[in-house]
Amino acid sequence: MTFQRTAQSVTLTIFVILLASAAYPYMEGSAADFFLRLDPLAAVGTMIAAKAFIWILIPGLIILALTFILGRFFCGHICPMGSTIDFLSRIAFGKRKLPADQNNYENDRRFKAVKYVFLAVIIGAAMAGVSIVSFGSPLSLATRIYGLLFYPLLMFLLDLGLRLLTPILPIIGLQSWLYIDVPKASFDTNGLIAIFLIAVIGFAYLRPRFWCRYLCPAGALMALPTNCSVFRRRVDDKCINCGKCVRMCPMGAIKNDPKLTAFSECVMCLNCQSVCPVNAIDFGLAPQVPATVDVTRRGLLVGLTSGILAAGVFRTGIDAQKSEGLKPLKSGDPIRPPGALPENEFMDKCIRCGECMKGCLTNTLQPIWFKAGLEGIFSPALMPRLGACATNCNVCGQVCPTGAIRRLPLIEKNHAKMGTAAIDRRTCLVWERDKKCLVCDEVCPYNAIEFKPVPNLTNAPPFVDEMRCTGCGWCENKCPVHGEAAIRVNTSGQLRLASGSYVERAKELGFAFKQKSKTSEQASPGMFEGIEGVTSPADGAGKDTGLPPGFE
Amino acid sequence: MPTSPNRRDFLKTGLVTTATVLAAGPGFLLNSRSSHAAESASYPDVVIAKGRDPEAMTRAAVDALGGMKAFVKPGDKVVIKPNMSFGSGPAAASNTHPEVVRAVAQMCSEAGASRISILDNVLHSPNECLKKSKIPDTCQGIPNLNVNVIKGDRLFRETPIKDGKSLKTMKVASEVLDADVLIAVPVGKSHSGAGVSLSMKGMMGLVLDRGVFHQRGLQQSIVDMVSVIKPQLVVIDGTRILSDGGPGGPGKVIPLNLVIASRDMVAADAQMVALGTWYGRSFEPKQVSHIKLAAERGLGRIDLDKLTVKNITS
Repeated sequence: MTFQRTAQSVTLTIFVILLASAAYPYMEGSAADFFLRLDPLAAVGTMIAAKAFIWILIPGLIILALTFILGRFFCGHICPMGSTIDFLSRIAFGKRKLPADQNNYENDRRFKAVKYVFLAVIIGAAMAGVSIVSFGSPLSLATRIYGLLFYPLLMFLLDLGLRLLTPILPIIGLQSWLYIDVPKASFDTNGLIAIFLIAVIGFAYLRPRFWCRYLCPAGALMALPTNCSVFRRRVDDKCINCGKCVRMCPMGAIKNDPKLTAFSECVMCLNCQSVCPVNAIDFGLAPQVPATVDVTRRGLLVGLTSGILAAGVFRTGIDAQKSEGLKPLKSGDPIRPPGALPENEFMDKCIRCGECMKGCLTNTLQPIWFKAGLEGIFSPALMPRLGACATNCNVCGQVCPTGAIRRLPLIEKNHAKMGTAAIDRRTCLVWERDKKCLVCDEVCPYNAIEFKPVPNLTNAPPFVDEMRCTGCGWCENKCPVHGEAAIRVNTSGQLRLASGSYVERAKELGFAFKQKSKTSEQASPGMFEGIEGVTSPADGAGKDTGLPPGFE
Repeated sequence: MPTSPNRRDFLKTGLVTTATVLAAGPGFLLNSRSSHAAESASYPDVVIAKGRDPEAMTRAAVDALGGMKAFVKPGDKVVIKPNMSFGSGPAAASNTHPEVVRAVAQMCSEAGASRISILDNVLHSPNECLKKSKIPDTCQGIPNLNVNVIKGDRLFRETPIKDGKSLKTMKVASEVLDADVLIAVPVGKSHSGAGVSLSMKGMMGLVLDRGVFHQRGLQQSIVDMVSVIKPQLVVIDGTRILSDGGPGGPGKVIPLNLVIASRDMVAADAQMVALGTWYGRSFEPKQVSHIKLAAERGLGRIDLDKLTVKNITS
C-alpha cells in the first residue's frame, strides 16, 4: 500500500470513529466534531458569513496555512470526501488509466476553473451574510454522507445480517449475538444525499476525482496558496517523457510536458513518484514557478457577484422575512435544536453537516428540505412525531463543530425552550370526542399539561401551560390520535440566546421548567418507548368509576 | 389446558369442552407437559410462602408444588419472564426482586435445564434495565443461564391467536415459542391501564407488537395473549409490592414478605390481588377485568375460596 493509501485509510478511519462517537452517551471531551473543524472552507466561509472570528474553527485555518508549505496535502491525504471518492471509484471502476492526452493539465483546464467560480460564489454569498458553505464544504458533505446515509445503511445491513444468521447463530456458539439490539436511525433527505453521492462517484468515471478536480470549492481555496508552496513535485533530467505519470495523476495536474506540474491541482498523492520507471520524480523543496491558478478575473467577478445576488435572493425570499422581527409568515417553521443560536446567526454558522442529527438520541433531529428556504436545506429541526427531545441528552450541542448549537450543560439545555405545544381541539380525543385520554400529560416531562373541566364535556380536557412547556415534543410524539398529532409543537415562545444563561433568562421571563421527579430519576434513553406505562384512552374506555385505573 | 387447572378442577367447573378446544389449538408450549396435570393432583393449587428471605420463600413455594423437577426435565430449554422493564432498583418494586429470579433460575439449573433464558422486552434503556434491576448481576454463575433484553423484530415470530377476541395474531419471542418450559416471575404491582400487572400482564414483555393491545382494549387483549403464551409455573414476587404508581413507579411500596407459586396463572394473579393493598384499599380479584375474563374463558381459576391454598412459613 502506498503512503497515500495508508494516510487516507488512517484519516478516514479517524473520521468515522469520531463521527461514531457523536452519540448518546457522549463522552465529554471526545471531540467528535474535531475533524469537521479541519475544513478550511467551513472556517473561512463561516467566519465571513458570521462576520466574526470563530475560535473553534482555527484548525481549518491551520490547514489552510499549512498549504503554503505542503500544497494541497489535505485533499490527497486527509479529506474524507477525497478518500471516499478514491476508494469507491476504485471499487466501482477498478484501476483506470486515461490516455495521457486526456489527462494532462491542459486538456480540461477550462473546467478546472469552475471550482474557483464556485468558491467565489460561496465567498460572495458569505460577504452578503448568507452561508452556503454546506453546498461545497467537503467535511460537511462527507459528514452528511457518512452520518445520514451510511450510518443508517450500516445499521440496516447489520440487522439484515443478524436476521439471516438467526437460525445458525446458536449452532455456531454465538447465541448471545441473537440479542444484539441494532439501533435504528432514519433521516429525511437521505435519498438526495444518495443521489449526490452516486453522481460524485459516477462522474469520477469520466475523470478521476471529478468533484475535486472541477468543483470542490475547498480545493479551490487551498489551491490559492500553492503558488508559493514550498514542498512540491520535482522532476529531474532522468525523465524519458514516457507520460506514465500524466496518465496516473488523479487530478490531471501534470502538464503535457511531464516535467511540469500545475501545483494548484497537485494533491501531493505521490502517485507519479511511485509509477515513474526511471525514478525521475520526487517531492521536496522546489524553486518558485509561475502561477497556475487559472481562473479568469471575469470568472472570479462573476462568481462573487453571483454569490452576492444569490444571497440577495435568499434574503428577499419569504423564508428570510421572519428573522426581521416579524412573526413567522408561514406555518410550520422548523423547530430548531435546543440551544440553537438566534435564527440568523444559526443559519450563518450551521454548515448542515448533520453531526447533531447523527448524535441525536431519539432521532428527532432531522435534516429539513425547504422549510427554511432553499438555503436551509439539510439544516436540523425537530420531528416530534418521530422522536422527542430527551431530557437526559444534550449531544447535539456537544458535537456541533461551529457552535451553531451552543455547547450547553444539561440543565441549561433543558431550559432552552424550543417552542410551545398547542392542542388541536378539532382532533383531540377529549376535546372532540369527550374520551378520557391523559397521554400528553403522562408523557410530559415538565407537567405542562393541565386538565380543567369545561361545560358540555364529562372529561376534563387538556390545556398547555406555556410557562412550563419547553417544546420537547413528547406529547406530540405519543398523542394516540392517528396521523397528525392533536397536540403539536410550534416555535412560539422559543428561547434563542446567542450568549448568557438559559436558566437565568428563563427565570427572568417567568418560565418554570421543572421536571417531574419520575423523569429526572429515570431519565434513561427510551423511557417513553412504546405506549406502555401510559394510560391509553381505550384502556379507560371513558368511564369514570371512581376506582383506580384498570379496576372495575 | 394441559397444566394450569388440574383434571379435578376441570370436571368441577364444567369447562372440559372449552379446555379441550384450547389445548388442541395453540397449546404448543405445553403439549409435552400434559402429564403434569395428573401428577399435580396431590399438590395445592396455590402456595403462599411467607418469610424474610426471598430465596428461601421462593424455594419453599416451588417445592410445595412438587419442586422444579415437576416442571423442568433434564435437557429442557426454559424461559423465565421476570419484570425488568424499568431502570430502577429492587426497592422501587417495578422490577422483580433479583433474588427471587435467581432462586427460580437456580432451581431450573438443578433440575437439569440445558438452557435458561431470562428475557424481557424492556421499556427503559436496555443497559439501564439490566444494570439497575440487578438481575444479571445477581444471577451470575448459574450454568447455562443468559439474561437478555429482546428487541428488534427478528427475534419474534408471528403467531396466530386462535380464540382471540381482540387480537387474531401477535409477534411472540421466538425463543419462547421454541422453549420447553415458560416460567413467569412477576413482581406484584399496580398498572395504570390493567389495574395490576402480574403473571398474565407480564407476558406482554414477550410480545413485540404490544402497542396495539392498548388500541384494541388492553384487558381483553391480555387474555387473548395468555391463551397462547401460558406459563406452566408462576412465581409471584410479593416480597414487596408497588401498590400504586405502577407499572413504572415511583409509587407506594408495601412489603408483604411473601412469594406466591401456582401452576395456574389466573389463580396466582387472583391470589396476589386478594393479598395486596392497591391504591390504599383492597380489591377482589374479579375487579380486575383481565383476571375475570381469563377465568371466564377457562384459562384458570379465580374462585380462591374453592382452591386449595397452602400457607407455609420459611
